Amino acid sequence: MTLFLQTTLNGLMLGGIYALAAVGFSLIFGVIGIVNLTHGVFVIAGAYLALLFYTELGLDPLLSMLPVGALLFAVGWIYQRTIIDWAISRASVEASLVVTFGMAMILRNLLQLWFGPDVQTITPFYSFFSVSVGPFRVDMVRLVALGSSMVLLLGLTLLLARTHFGRAMRAVAQQPLAAALSGLNVKRIHAMTFGVSAALAGASGAIIGIVQPFSAASEVAWTLNAFMVVVLGGVGSPAGALVGGLLLGLINSYTAQYFGPALTQAAMFLVLVLMLLLRPTGLLGNPYGESR
Amino acid sequence: MSDILLSGRGVTKKFRGLTAIDDVSFDIPHGAIYGLIGPNGAGKSTLFNLITGYHPLTSGSITFRGKVLGNMPIYRRNQLGLARAFQIAKPFPALTLAQNVRVGAMFGRPGDKNVERTTQEALDVTGIAHLAQRRAGELTVGDLRKLEIARAVATRPVLLLADEPCAGLNPTETEEMVRCLRAVRDAGTTVWLVEHDMKAVTNICDRIIVIDAGKKLAEGTPHEVVNNKEVIAAYLGTPVDDLPAHTP
Amino acid sequence: MNRFVILLLTAVAALLVAMLPILLGPYYIRVLQTFFFFAGLGVAWNILGGYAGYWSFGHTVSIGIGAFTAAWLGLIFGAGSGPWSMILPVIAGALLSGLFALVIAYPLLRLRGTYFAIAMLGVSQVVAELVNNVSIFQGGIGVFLPSPVPSGMPVERFYYYIFAVVLSLLLLISWWVKRSRFGYALLAIREDEDTAMMLGVPTERYKMAAFVLSAVMVGLLGAIYGYSLGYFTTYSVFRLDWSLNMIVFCLIGGIGTLMGPVIGAALILFLTQVLLGGFLDLHLMITGALVVAVILVMPGGILRTRWRLPGRMPAREGAE
Repeated sequence: MTLFLQTTLNGLMLGGIYALAAVGFSLIFGVIGIVNLTHGVFVIAGAYLALLFYTELGLDPLLSMLPVGALLFAVGWIYQRTIIDWAISRASVEASLVVTFGMAMILRNLLQLWFGPDVQTITPFYSFFSVSVGPFRVDMVRLVALGSSMVLLLGLTLLLARTHFGRAMRAVAQQPLAAALSGLNVKRIHAMTFGVSAALAGASGAIIGIVQPFSAASEVAWTLNAFMVVVLGGVGSPAGALVGGLLLGLINSYTAQYFGPALTQAAMFLVLVLMLLLRPTGLLGNPYGESR
Repeated sequence: MSDILLSGRGVTKKFRGLTAIDDVSFDIPHGAIYGLIGPNGAGKSTLFNLITGYHPLTSGSITFRGKVLGNMPIYRRNQLGLARAFQIAKPFPALTLAQNVRVGAMFGRPGDKNVERTTQEALDVTGIAHLAQRRAGELTVGDLRKLEIARAVATRPVLLLADEPCAGLNPTETEEMVRCLRAVRDAGTTVWLVEHDMKAVTNICDRIIVIDAGKKLAEGTPHEVVNNKEVIAAYLGTPVDDLPAHTP
Repeated sequence: MNRFVILLLTAVAALLVAMLPILLGPYYIRVLQTFFFFAGLGVAWNILGGYAGYWSFGHTVSIGIGAFTAAWLGLIFGAGSGPWSMILPVIAGALLSGLFALVIAYPLLRLRGTYFAIAMLGVSQVVAELVNNVSIFQGGIGVFLPSPVPSGMPVERFYYYIFAVVLSLLLLISWWVKRSRFGYALLAIREDEDTAMMLGVPTERYKMAAFVLSAVMVGLLGAIYGYSLGYFTTYSVFRLDWSLNMIVFCLIGGIGTLMGPVIGAALILFLTQVLLGGFLDLHLMITGALVVAVILVMPGGILRTRWRLPGRMPAREGAE
C-alpha cells in the first residue's frame, strides 16, 4: 500500500511538470489552431539554456527560468511572425504541421552540433536532498519542480483571465473572424501566444533539466508528451493541461513501477489512443470547441 | 414486399438533454414524392441524419426496404438504396463533374455494372451533362445542387432524401430543380424532400409531413396541410390561397 | 501521352538502369541505390498519404519492423547465405509490417488529419523505444544480417539492382491502384470522406487496405535496407528524419501523382548528396530546411489534400 501511495505521489509530482511542459502547446492549439511540432525543441532548448546559465554563471535553474523564459518568448514571437505566419498564409494551416516538424529537425540538429549528443543533467546543490513525510520520501528536486510548475500555471491562468492580452487570446481562440472584425490585432495575438507558449516551454525545460536527464534527441518525446496531455485533458486551458499532465504522470509512474520503465511510453501512448477513441475532446473538453 | 419503402416508429433523438426529435413516426411509400416541412430548428435535417445513419437513434426504429437500420454503417445504407443530397453541396472540388458523379456510379447500390452509362444517365436526368468536364469548384449554386442530386442518383438509389434542393435558387432554377426531381421520380426513385419554398413543395409533393420542435405536427396532401390551422400557426403564418394546383 | 510512347520510355529507362552500374563508379551507384530506396519509400507513403489523404508522420516504423523482422528470423532459424537466403526474411519483414499496420489500423484510422499524423509519429516513437529497451528485441545491442551478395559481384551493384527491381514493382502496384476502383475510392476518401461514405464507399475497409499496403511496401524496403547495412541498431532503421523525408518527396514531386515521389526523391537526393555531399552531420538540418523551403516557396496549390480541423466531423446539417 505504501508503495502504491509513493508511486502515486511520484506520479503526481511528475504530472505537474508534464502539465507545465504541455500548456504552451495547448495554448497554441487552442488559440491559433495549429499543432506545433517544434514544441519539444523549445522545452529542450530551455533545458540547455538553463544548463548554460548554471555552468557558466552559476545561476540556479529555478532562478534562470526567468531569463530562459524571456529569451524563448522572443524566439517564439519571432518564429511565429516569420515562419509560422508565412506557412499559414502561403500554404495552409495543415502545412504548419510539416513546417514545424522540419524546423524541429533543424533546431534539433543545431542543438546536437552545439552541445553534443551526450545526455545532460543540471545538478544544483539540492539535487540529492530528500524529505521524509511519514513513510513517504519526497525528492527535494521534484518537490521544487512541482511547486514552480504550479506557480507558473497559476500565473498563466491569471494572465488569461485578468489581463487584456489574456482576454484577447481567448477571444481569438473562440471566434477568430469576429475577433479580427472587432479590431483585435490577431497577428499580434498569435505572436503573443507563441511567445508565451515558448516561454513556458523553456521554463519547464529548466525544471526538467534538474529532474531528468535530457539531450537534443529527447525533443520528440516532449512534443508527444504535450500532445498526450492535450488529448487527455483537453485543449486550450491551463486546467486541461493540469488534468492531462497529472494523468500522464500517474500513468508513467504506475507503469514504471509495476511493469518496468521500458514500457512507460508505450503505456502512455496506449492510453492516448484509448482516449482518442472514446473521448477525443479530452476530459475537460475544448472550451473553444463550439466555434471551430 | 409491402408498398412502404421507409418507415419510422417512435423515432426519438436526444442530444445531451435537448430532445431534437420526439417520437416521430412515418411511412414513405414506393414511387411517391413526399415533403418534409417545418420551421427552422424543427429537426428536419436531424431526422434525415438519423435515417442516413449520421447519428444513432436514442429510441425507436427505422426500417428501410424491410430491414431495420439499427447500427448499419452509412455506406451500407447507401448500398441498400438510400441516398442523400445536401443543401450545402459538398462536391469533390478537384474533380470534374463527371468524375464526381462517377464515384457514385462506381459504388452505391450494387446493380447495373455499366458505370459509364449510369454516370451519363445521372448527368442527363439532372441536366448538367453539358458541364461534365468542368471542375466542380467552378460551378454556380444551382448547378452545384444539381451535381449533388446527380451524384446521389448515380448510386442507383431506391429512395432519395433531398435537403432543401431549392434553397437559394432563383425562380427559373427552382423550376428546373422541380423538373429534375420529377424526372428522378419518374425514373424509379422515391423522393423525400425538405423544403421551405411552399410553391415548390405543393407543386411537386404527393403528401407532406410537417414537423415542429421535433414533433410531428401534421401529415396530408398539400391542400390539407396548407389549410391545417396548426400548421399555419406554427409555420406558414398566413393561409396560403394562391398556390398552383398540384400536378402529379 | 499515348501508350506506345510510355512503353518506349519505360523500356529505355529500364535499359538505362540496367546498364548504368557498368558505366558508373561505386559512389554514384550507391547514390542511385539510395535514390531507388528513397523513391520506393515515397511511392509507398504516397498510397496512404497522397491517394487516400492520410498523412502519416511515423511511416518509418515500418522500415524498422521490416528490418528487424528479417534479422530476428535469421536469429531464430539460422541464417543462410547467398541471395536466395534473403527471400524468406524479406517477405516476413514485409508481412509483419503489414500485420502490425492491420492491428493499429482500427483505432488509428478513426482519427483524421493532424491527429492521425501525430498518432503515427507516436507509434513510430513508441515502437522504436520498445525495440530499443526491451532486451529480447536486441535493438540496443544491434542485430546482424548475413550478406546475401553472391560472391564476385560488387556489393553496391547487387543492392542497386535489387532496389531498382523493387522500385519498379512498387511503381507498378501504385499505377494499378491509381487506375482501379480501389484508387477511385481512395480519391473520394481524400477529397471528402463523409461524402464518400454517403455514396456507398466502404471507407473503413479501403482506408485499412491502403494503410496495410503502404506498410507492406515500406516493410519490404526496410528489410532489404537492413541487409544492405549488415549490422544495425534501433535508430539506424527507426529514423525520425525519414518519416519527414517520405512526406517531402511527395510534396515536392507532386502529392497524389504516380511519379511525384520519384521526382521528389531524385531532387532531394541530388541536393543533399551531390551538391552538399559530405555534410553527414547536417542531414537532419538540411532535410528540415528543405521542408520549410518547399512549403514557403511552392505555391499553395501543390498541397492538394484538404484536412478539416482535427477531431470534428464537418457540420453537414442543413440550415437548422
